[in-house]
Amino acid sequence: MSDAVIENGKTQTNQALESRKSSQKKIFLLVLLAVLLLFPLTQFVVGGMNYWLHMLLFTFMYIAMASSWNIIGGYAGYTSLGHNVFFAIGGYFTGVLLVYFKISPFLTAPIAGIIALLVGLVVGLISLRTKGSAFIISTIALMMLVKISFDNWDYIGGTNGMSTPLLMLPVEVVKFPFYYYLLAIAIAAVYLSYRVRHSKFGLGLRAISQDETKAEVAGIPTNWYKILAFALSGLFVGVAGGLWGYYLTYLRPNIFLTVLIAAQMVLMSVLGGKGTVAGPIVGAILFIAIDEFFVANLGFTMLNIAATGLLLALVLLFFPRGIVGTLKERGKLPVFLDWD
Amino acid sequence: MTQTLQVLLFGVALGGVYALMASGLTLVFGVMRIVNISHSALMIFAAYIAFFAFQNYSLDPILSIFITMPVMFLMGVAIYKIFFSSIKSTERTGELTVLLTFSLALVLEGVMGYLWTNVYRSANPSYATEAIFFGPFFLPKGQFYATVLSVAIIILLWLFLKYSRIGYAIRATMQNQAAAQVVGVNVERMAMISFGIGIALAGASGSLMSYLFTFYPGKHWEWIAILLSLIVLGGMGSLAGALVGAFLLAIASALVGYHFGPTWSPITFFLALFLILLVRPQGLLGKKMEA
Repeated sequence: MSDAVIENGKTQTNQALESRKSSQKKIFLLVLLAVLLLFPLTQFVVGGMNYWLHMLLFTFMYIAMASSWNIIGGYAGYTSLGHNVFFAIGGYFTGVLLVYFKISPFLTAPIAGIIALLVGLVVGLISLRTKGSAFIISTIALMMLVKISFDNWDYIGGTNGMSTPLLMLPVEVVKFPFYYYLLAIAIAAVYLSYRVRHSKFGLGLRAISQDETKAEVAGIPTNWYKILAFALSGLFVGVAGGLWGYYLTYLRPNIFLTVLIAAQMVLMSVLGGKGTVAGPIVGAILFIAIDEFFVANLGFTMLNIAATGLLLALVLLFFPRGIVGTLKERGKLPVFLDWD
Repeated sequence: MTQTLQVLLFGVALGGVYALMASGLTLVFGVMRIVNISHSALMIFAAYIAFFAFQNYSLDPILSIFITMPVMFLMGVAIYKIFFSSIKSTERTGELTVLLTFSLALVLEGVMGYLWTNVYRSANPSYATEAIFFGPFFLPKGQFYATVLSVAIIILLWLFLKYSRIGYAIRATMQNQAAAQVVGVNVERMAMISFGIGIALAGASGSLMSYLFTFYPGKHWEWIAILLSLIVLGGMGSLAGALVGAFLLAIASALVGYHFGPTWSPITFFLALFLILLVRPQGLLGKKMEA
């Protein structure tokens, strides 16, 4: 009798704690959103904020891409080293429509995401017949395949690529549309990642990453789950690519299809903690900060590539759970980072 | 007809070199189940050694294998010590090692790019521009020498694996690691030695590459995709498979290049890779591949 009362009391305290945590999180998110929404306005107060706007929208883009990669690479445990293919497909899709048909990428970027998703379905049907190392190899092959095709495709400019028209806005506000659009993409990608993580589908993916045979035996349609995860993980990478070409004002295979972009998606997720919702976000912010520090201090050299590789190796060897994973393991994860 | 035969001859001549490049990769996979993404980056590193030895000391690129092979062997042993000796064998080892060698490839690319810039390079010994004639057919001298040397090295490697004591132990490790350990094979040491040999083979390939192809640090991504397609076709971990895959795809890509233009010839490899993974993931001569 008294035990039951105590148990009951414990549950109530736990519930109270949980609800306090969740309201803390809500407040945190609202404040963060308000700050990010209002930030561009400092342009009119202080002025000369274009550098910071650029850094932030760049971060938003990578948050979206790393969170997307995390769906297949983190939740399902299938490492893709060719994820920039979706980025390139998105970029060239909106680029062609802009250059040849004068349709704004702001309208076509979501469609670019759908195209990336469909490509993901088709490619997934083929390359997800393999597992482990063989799958990773197939993603590298996919990237080389797309790179050579784009390099030799005259309609989209071959190796020289295409120049896209500038967005005609005054210099103070020209970054605003990209800023808000990429913020929206980042929010949507993180929300997708969160929803997947807390769904039956996400549970199935985690089962696949732990033991695929057992997952199959337990009745999970592992094949379809993996293919769907791969396709979904291409969606927002495609949307981001769709905007990025317009932002850069040019598209070139060796900008969109370098291994570096794919490597950075992997590194950000692993650094922050792959398989967690907050991990890729933390990883993206941290990596871009470190990278910017290096660029500012060493200049933009090939050493950037070396630093990316070195950091990835160090994290893999000594810190395989990443920041969020390690903090969670030690019970020191701040409430606002705990979304799993 | 003569034309087609000539194209086939070019294909065969390159096949030997491809086989040498792939042999180190497949050996490392066979013994340790490591897909070494940095293999081609190490190849390019060796190519730079050969290139600078030729340019500064006029050392013949073919003779430079006596420098590149030992140097790269030691480098391989060092890489093994740093990266792989501490990793415990688990479910996810395959994926972890791919990512680790991927990071190593990035580091090598960055460092080489920083030291030697992204200028396209190629050594030009006298035989690189001369040709040998066989009746109506011809072959660039450099390619001919390279193929003969490659096949010779592969035969030596095969003899070593077949008849030497270490070779026995390495093959035992390839077949069944646990059983090899039971009968007293020092598996850890064999893994280290075969990784060294694999990278030494990359060194020899680099020496040949230095005058056969133009190269720059970022070029290794294309090469690794090509080499992976060869060994996936042949069956990963199988030396004979690497040989078969190399000759088949070298000939196929030469034909594609002849009919559709040289820029399309690399696509043969990547399409082949996809097709094989789709139809027969274990390759022609391979056993079913896990993780």
